[in-house]
Amino acid sequence: MTEDAAFDQLLESPQYSLTQPLKESLLLPLLNALTDHHRARCPEYAKLISLLHPELKQAGSPAEIPFIPVGLFKTHVLCSIPPDEVFKTLTSSGTTGQQVSQIFLDRETARRQTVALGRIMAQVLGPERVPMIVVDSNGLVRDRGRFSARAAGVLGMLNFGRNHFYALDEHMDLDENGLRAFLEKFGSKPFLIFGFTFMVWQYFFERIRDMGLDLSQGTLVHSGGWKKLQERAVSNVEFRRSFEEAAKLKRIFNFYGMVEQVGSVYVEAEDGLLYPPNFADIIIRDPATMRELPPSEPGVIQVLSALPLSYPGHSILTEDLGVIHSIDGSSSERRGKAFRVLGRVPKSELRGCSDTHAVEVAA
Amino acid sequence: MTVREIAPVEQCVEASEVVARLQSAPSSFPPFAPEIIQFCGRFSRLIFQNKPARGFPELQALAFWMRPAGVGPLNDAVRRLETRHTRLVPRGVVFHIPPANVDTIFVYSWIVSMLMGNRNLIRLSSSVTPQVDLLCRILNEALAESDPVFRNQTIIVQYGHEREITELFSQSADVRVIWGGDQTVNAIRSIPLPPHASELTFPDRFSLCAIRAENYLGLDEAQGIGLVEKFYNDTFWFDQMACSSPRLMLWCGDKAECGRASSLFFCRLQECIRRKGYAPETGIRMNRFTFACRAILDRPVTAYQDFQGDLPVLTLGSLENFSRDHCGGGLMLEFYSSGLDALAPAVTHRDQTLTQFGFDSIELETFVKLLNGRGIDRIVPIGEALHFQHFWDGYDLFQSLSRSVYVQT
Repeated sequence: MTEDAAFDQLLESPQYSLTQPLKESLLLPLLNALTDHHRARCPEYAKLISLLHPELKQAGSPAEIPFIPVGLFKTHVLCSIPPDEVFKTLTSSGTTGQQVSQIFLDRETARRQTVALGRIMAQVLGPERVPMIVVDSNGLVRDRGRFSARAAGVLGMLNFGRNHFYALDEHMDLDENGLRAFLEKFGSKPFLIFGFTFMVWQYFFERIRDMGLDLSQGTLVHSGGWKKLQERAVSNVEFRRSFEEAAKLKRIFNFYGMVEQVGSVYVEAEDGLLYPPNFADIIIRDPATMRELPPSEPGVIQVLSALPLSYPGHSILTEDLGVIHSIDGSSSERRGKAFRVLGRVPKSELRGCSDTHAVEVAA
Repeated sequence: MTVREIAPVEQCVEASEVVARLQSAPSSFPPFAPEIIQFCGRFSRLIFQNKPARGFPELQALAFWMRPAGVGPLNDAVRRLETRHTRLVPRGVVFHIPPANVDTIFVYSWIVSMLMGNRNLIRLSSSVTPQVDLLCRILNEALAESDPVFRNQTIIVQYGHEREITELFSQSADVRVIWGGDQTVNAIRSIPLPPHASELTFPDRFSLCAIRAENYLGLDEAQGIGLVEKFYNDTFWFDQMACSSPRLMLWCGDKAECGRASSLFFCRLQECIRRKGYAPETGIRMNRFTFACRAILDRPVTAYQDFQGDLPVLTLGSLENFSRDHCGGGLMLEFYSSGLDALAPAVTHRDQTLTQFGFDSIELETFVKLLNGRGIDRIVPIGEALHFQHFWDGYDLFQSLSRSVYVQT
């Protein structure tokens, strides 16, 4: 089978329908080809691979595909296309002063991401475009050349809805009247709500919890990590229960994804577990030895994706911890690896003679 | 402005009262007075007797150094600083500012200061390691058993980053001692001292190790492993974050010899890491891997080995514009060189300790002359990187923490 045919099969087969062995047999040649592709086009990637894996041969399994740490995208330009073919630059959302990842897309990679996300969302949301509430402000997506991860996420999702309503203003204030008007018009039939987990909780849920709204026809898709919510002791279970109690909203899908692999998102199924789409996969590694870990042993998450052509991001070691729950579990609706994300690798403070408190000292 | 007093009494106290107590405390002991040596003995004994302290090798090393048999003989070194016409006397009040992620190294400069008869004020940041917490409790026991005169000669306080308090304490200091990163040193330096006061700074440093490949290859197996164990202590006791822990390994000899010595040494080091059970946290490991990848892109790296994840080693093809940035946590850079002299052009004032094996004193002295002050403050055998000496960062601390009074009849 040619690589194109394998890619098409992964994209066109119903998502989550492939057994792990079949999926790996289709994915492996694509990933091997991507390693070669980026080695030939991105000198930095070529240097890394030649030193990290001086005797690299074609990988015999996805776990043998070399990976690079996600932090490199924050400090280095890793790009497999000439500058004039850069169609979009994505950046991660970092707080002020933090370094952000830079991801360079050409038209083809952007197209693949859009198509891929479409396949995943069609599986989750159904084929119809429905009215959509965006829990964000429309000011976010004005600059169309350079995108923060948040803007890219919103823009990517806009395609799956119509009659978009931006629920927040630029001060993150909820437009209550607008929301009521939207629900009056569309609330009795299926509609979509999308936003980042923390914002959905803080700026949306906390405002509507006592408004007595009926969101029972809605489907909420949210992403972006639990760190800030964990600080407020809000778990995924609590999040779901609160929405159901306050607004009868039951269809809630959390997903795991990152700006370094837009399009390859891992959506939560009814069982509360995350599943890789056909064209992507995860591997859990032992942080001490970097060996692949079997199900139920927690470790560092490596993400694989067949999408990235314009930057060497087909195999990335994240800074997130996760655990595989099962592989090809009982449900025929969801095959492949079922996993949970356990949070970020805790930052470690090393002891020693130096410190970084100077700014505070001087303040 | 209140601060938390840790020693001699645990209490909240006005910063101004701390100053008043220090200034009213008589400087009643001359350098190396028997009472001071006795106090060191008591402190040392209480550390040795403390059960939890046995879990911290650095506290054991400190207690060993503080024995009267350890510090007593240093008096000879101090006396040699005096001439026919000069006598050493204390400077007065020494204000110590250890780093925020404080470790026990600051205790050495404080003890040296105390041995010279100074009164000491030590500022700890709001979070301290278990080692330092334990040490302060043992210190209070030692002070409780001591002459009341001692009780206000050392005051340890804890406060955040309130500039006003640091200003007040600095105003009453005769010497200020700053440990910390370059930024910390710069920030505190902007706070004025009295015109007569002096300042010692211990900023970020970088340390390295040099081994003559031929000599290492000439060792038998037991000796070869023994040297690796010493290197392990130098490097891993403080997660390679002590300023005197080596981060760059310089192999001297021809390329083939250097390569053989390097593989043998680092294989044995990996075995040692496993034997000792050194297992850094996941965050440190991830940081180390990311650092290694960045180094591959930014530096003239010619080879990368990771010894099954236990020990990343990056071989450099050149030391030109050598970057001292380092992640700590057990990552080695290495360079093959014909001899020590090839290292000289790369040395800067950032370089502190050179631990070495296989060089004779003439070679080392020639090397120091060649450097002519450009960098490197200590050259010691492998295994002694962390052994504190009163010669530190280019200072003779006995000299710097005292004044010479000239007397002529």
